[in-house]
Order: sequence, then structure tokens, then C-alpha cells
Amino acid sequence: MTRDVAGIGLGLRYDLATELLERTPKSIAWLEIHPENYLDRGGRYQEMLELAREDWPIITHGLSSCLGSVEPFDARYLKELGTFLKDLEIPWHSEHLCLGGADGRFFHDLLPLPFTEEAAAIASQRLIEMRDAIGIPLALENASYYAPQGPDGLAEADFVVEVLERTDAKLLLDVNNVYVNGRNFDFDPRLYIDKIPMERVVQLHVAGHFVRDDEVRIDTHGEPVPDEVYELLDYTLRKTGPVPVLLERDNNIPPLDELLSEVDELWTIYRRATGVGNAP
Amino acid sequence: MLPDHAKAMQRVCFGAEPSEADLELLGSRERWLIYRDLVRNRLDQVIGVALARTKNAIGQDAFRGAVDEWYARERGPVTRYLRYVPSEFAEFAIPVWQRTEAPWVADLAGYEISAWEVRHGPLDPTPAHDFAFDRKPVLAAAVKVLRLAYPVQQSPIPDAGYDPDPTILCLYRDKNHKAVPRKLNPLAADLLDAWRAADETVAESVQRVAAAHSTDIGPEFVEKLSSLVTDFIQRGILLGGAAQ
Repeated sequence: MTRDVAGIGLGLRYDLATELLERTPKSIAWLEIHPENYLDRGGRYQEMLELAREDWPIITHGLSSCLGSVEPFDARYLKELGTFLKDLEIPWHSEHLCLGGADGRFFHDLLPLPFTEEAAAIASQRLIEMRDAIGIPLALENASYYAPQGPDGLAEADFVVEVLERTDAKLLLDVNNVYVNGRNFDFDPRLYIDKIPMERVVQLHVAGHFVRDDEVRIDTHGEPVPDEVYELLDYTLRKTGPVPVLLERDNNIPPLDELLSEVDELWTIYRRATGVGNAP
Repeated sequence: MLPDHAKAMQRVCFGAEPSEADLELLGSRERWLIYRDLVRNRLDQVIGVALARTKNAIGQDAFRGAVDEWYARERGPVTRYLRYVPSEFAEFAIPVWQRTEAPWVADLAGYEISAWEVRHGPLDPTPAHDFAFDRKPVLAAAVKVLRLAYPVQQSPIPDAGYDPDPTILCLYRDKNHKAVPRKLNPLAADLLDAWRAADETVAESVQRVAAAHSTDIGPEFVEKLSSLVTDFIQRGILLGGAAQ
């Protein structure tokens, strides 16, 4: 059994959890968690999750099972993850289309895959293997990247679609990542969005990013969502329809009221673009 | 080939100095050096938070040097859990600091990393029964016993650090999810170790540990044992008894 997830969600983060869980603002329709932060962990994190589940449906988004890694999955971890996810009654789980480690070591960051046939084959095989192991629908997320991986920036969209088609998978479309990549590699992010088969999109992410002095944009999740990303979200929602949208904020976390202002802006865009979805 | 790319990324991110050959293989030298910074900064941050007092005690440069040496030697953390990264680093660094830093630094780092592990430790088990002397005990998951040469749970002497003062501590996670130290005498520490192992009943462990300490189980001992058990239960260290 799964719980319905729609509208605007927020990531459950340690630094904002106390105020969020006390106030339980009604404009937030659901919460997203990273399973790695809760698996085999008691204390405050266990308490946060238990309290959150009293008021919100949960969606999970993994950090460590990067689909493009070249080493075998840890079967024990996948079993623990599958058990954890089933207990949460989630509609789907998502992981990044990237490379997260090598030679038995984890990068703890999302490193880019080259947009090659080999990488698409590896990522597709791993996605299917992981989906079978956890027994829950698995969506991939397009990643941000800073070093060129193909002949042009839009090659990434073809790469993402290739993996989607090979695996019949769902997509968590990160609108901020598309925007960041568009600025870093000089393409129109709307052309990227146009290449995506919208029937596969089950969820969207939006966030802010950091602009370095050399103009390279880094996907920090540590800044307010910029107007250009709001505009790209509007463009995307008009194509996808009312799929759930997550506001990601992982660093430089401001007072909750500042985040709620961004949530309100997202609801405005959501309603305008889709014609549905009042805040609960 | 993707495996070659992955290993080049690993060397660029964790090597003492990224090689020009790897950067050329990956392409876009400047952008890959951004990745090196991003990867290392994230790990630096969690390590620095977990070992904040140690970092302050030995200084930024010495701490930085130990972290860099660990990156170069281990080529990245084995754990997928960011919260376990400081423990992997401490396992490498504490023996180094035993040789290179003031004699109390290793105790301080050991205390800090134990507190971090207690705070972020696993879920507590659910005991099948109430505590009973004829059952194996069930303890909270996040409990550690530390035998220290220096009282590093206290504030240091300004500009001096710590004088030797052998100290045994139990570190446990309290109801507010904080890691809290409680002093133990040697017999209580051995009892707690026995209860953590949970391979004998409480009565068996009491008899064995008391004998090892040449202590008679008389009225005074029983009274102190009763107080210890009550205190452990009230603190959430001792949760109950196991099924037979």
C-alpha cells in the first residue's frame, strides 16, 4: 500500500526539523528523505522520521547507489533498503544517474558519467538490478555536472532518454540541474526539457545553486531558487502536468518562514501551470 | 572505458596531487579540480564536526595534514554512510597522533569519535522481558565503555591540556539524543562490558566479574549493584532482559 503524493514537498533536514515538525505547515504536502540518513540509525533521526510520518506522506531519494557505478551492488544493503522503503509506503524511490565511487570507495558526491553507450548499458543494467532487488518502482534522476561529458550539453538529454527507454523506468527530473547544466554548457534548457518523454516524469526537483567567480554554477542546494529556475519549472509543469515538486535545500538552511515563502511561490507556479493543486 | 574513468576520478579526488595524466584522460582540467574540492570539502566538513575539539587542540595545519594523508592512503571512505566517515578517519589518525601529538590527544580523539558514534548509533533493541538476574541483559545499542589515561571529558587546563588521571567512562545516548558520559569504577566497567556482550545471564556475569576483582558478594556489594542497575535503567542504558 502506498500513500498519495502530490503538490509541493520539502526535504526533511536535521537543521530545520525541529521547527518544521512543531509547526507542521499545511502548505507542505509531503516530505522527502534520504534513506542513508535513517537506515540503521536511532536517536534524533529516528524520532524525526516517526514524527514526520504522522503528518506527511514520504518520498525517498537515495544518495549512495549511483546507477552508473561500475562495481556490484551490496546485496545486503539493497535488502535493508528494500525493507526500509516498503515500511514507508512510498510510491517510488529514486537514485542518481551518475558515478558515486570506485574501487570499493565512495566519493560521497555525484560524479558525472560520460554520455556513452557503455555507460548507458551499465546504468541500465544496474537500474533494473536495483529495482528488482528493492521491489519498488525506481526512478532515475538527471544529475548536474561541471566537466564536459559529451559532444554538447544536450547530449545528456539523449543519454537520459536512452537509459529510460532501455529500462522502462520513471524519471525524477531535476529542473535546477537542467538549468545549471544549460548555463555551464551553453544550451537552452527548454530544448533539454523538450527531449524528455513527459509520460515518464513522476517527480520534479527545484533548488538554488551557487555561482562562482568564474561563472561556473555549482548545484549546492544552498541558495534560494532563482527566477530562471522558477520559469523553467513553469515551462516543465505545463508539459508534465501535476507531478509532485520538491524544494531542495540542504545547505545554508534559512529560517523556515523563508523556505515557506519559496513553497508558496512554487504553489503559485504549480496551480498556474497545471490548473490543479490547492495547498492542503 | 568507464572503469578506467572511475579510477582516474578516484585518483584526482583523493590523491596527494592529481596527476596531469588523469586530468588529461578525464578532460577539462579546471573543472575536474572543482570536483576534487567538492568531494574533499564535504568529507572535511563532517570529519571536522565530529572531531572539533581535537582539531582545535592540534591546530588546523596538523589536522589538515592528517586528513590529506588519509585521503591519499585510503583513496576514499569505504562506508556509504557519511556519518561513518569520521570513524574511518579516526581509525587511521589516532595511532598517528599517539606518536606525534601531546599524550592526551589520542584520548581526546577517541572520546570525541566515541561520542559521535553513540549519538549516531543504531536503533535500540526491544527487550523481550523486564530486567532479571536470571536472564541475559538487553542494553541500548549506543553504549560504549572508554578507559582513558586523561580526563578528556572535562575542559582542558588552559595552555596545558590534561594531567594524567585514569578515568573509565560509559558513553550513552540520553533521551535528548545527546552522548552523555558517566564515570564508572573498574568493576562496574567490566560488568557493563559483560552485559554488552550479552552471552551470559546477569547473575553469571556478576559472579564472574566479582570473582575476577576478588570482591565478595555481600550485602554492601548487593546494595551497590542494585543502585548501579537502577541508575542504568533510569538512564536508558539497560533496557531489560532477553528471552531465554
